[in-house]
Amino acid sequence: MAAISDEHFSSLQILLKAPSKDAVRQLCADSFPSGAPESWRLAESTAGTLSVSAIEAKELIAALHTLSHHILFHNLTAPEQILVLFPKSFHPSLKNLITKIMLEHSPPWRNEALSNQISLPHLVEMDWRVDMKTASDSVSRMAVPTCLVHMKVEDSSCLRGSGALSSVTVELSKETLDTMLDGLGRIRDQLSVVAGK
Amino acid sequence: MLQLQFTKDTLPDSVINDFQNLNKFNEQQFTSLTEILFNFLLEPKEADRFLHQLSEFAGENGMSAGPLRNLMKSLLLLPHGSLKKNLTEDQVKEDLLTLGVSEDKADHFSQQWSLHYPVLSRLAVGQTLMVNQLVDMEWKFGVTVGTSELQKVGNTFLQLKLVIRKGNSTENVYMELTLPQFYNFLHEMERAKASMDCFS
Repeated sequence: MAAISDEHFSSLQILLKAPSKDAVRQLCADSFPSGAPESWRLAESTAGTLSVSAIEAKELIAALHTLSHHILFHNLTAPEQILVLFPKSFHPSLKNLITKIMLEHSPPWRNEALSNQISLPHLVEMDWRVDMKTASDSVSRMAVPTCLVHMKVEDSSCLRGSGALSSVTVELSKETLDTMLDGLGRIRDQLSVVAGK
Repeated sequence: MLQLQFTKDTLPDSVINDFQNLNKFNEQQFTSLTEILFNFLLEPKEADRFLHQLSEFAGENGMSAGPLRNLMKSLLLLPHGSLKKNLTEDQVKEDLLTLGVSEDKADHFSQQWSLHYPVLSRLAVGQTLMVNQLVDMEWKFGVTVGTSELQKVGNTFLQLKLVIRKGNSTENVYMELTLPQFYNFLHEMERAKASMDCFS
């Protein structure tokens, strides 16, 4: 992750050309996603809004992206912590506006970063059903309950939104289910011990 | 045409003869043979041990192993069929009498049958088809300390590894659950168990 430099802050001053505070707000939001600094489409529309060249717009987007990610990474939650990042010569009202917008967006950005982090495939959905086996080739009459559990997992390492949803159905006998619940109960107990500390 | 409960097929004469030959054994010999038979039924994988015990018996009692093995093969038809049809002790005894086995031998065999029946039926149920049977479950849970986007995080996660039997091989399925998902999963599994308990 790039560190914030003076060039970034001089790019940020381009925001003084923004038509409104909402335009600044929108720009901050648009430059956050990871693909934003490379997007020419965004650079061009920004260039149009601010009446600057595409190159300058691209530098502005990169600067906003770096700043927002820096704030998120270090979890800067107080205005003072952010204000101190800016050079002394930076335009004061713009500085305050950017700080305010960054703080506003931090919670949803944080949640988004948390949900996008790498992990094993996530459990998306889970269903179960209890069946009664009444006959088989080895026993012509029986009454054995069995449990079927269907789980849908999403592999989040694929592109967002197109995560491969794979599905697995598992059959459990009564003993297996009891053992599984035993294990799950132990997890719950350990969790409450940790939570109690 | 014999009316038997353990099978609907017509038994070949050789099989019927084998059953009637059981009467030639004395009480002690019949008891040993029954024991060898049920040992095999209780542990069907121990085929070698079964054959070995039969050879020993043949040697001790001055008979040839070959005919004895054939006799036992015929005799095995009765418990296999009875297990399939869930026959009671009395029904097994009736079939033995129909086949011409003497009263006291039929009595002894059917008593042994009812003695071992719970274990034998459990074994048969265990052989019943199971699709994607869950064989093992491993878990670990931990805390995410940091990521490339967030220097300090404190999220708990739970990782599950399920080992599933697919045909002859096993497949591992890995997944991660958040805490709320885990509690939901636990809750659903408890409901499934309660539902199963209603039936047993």
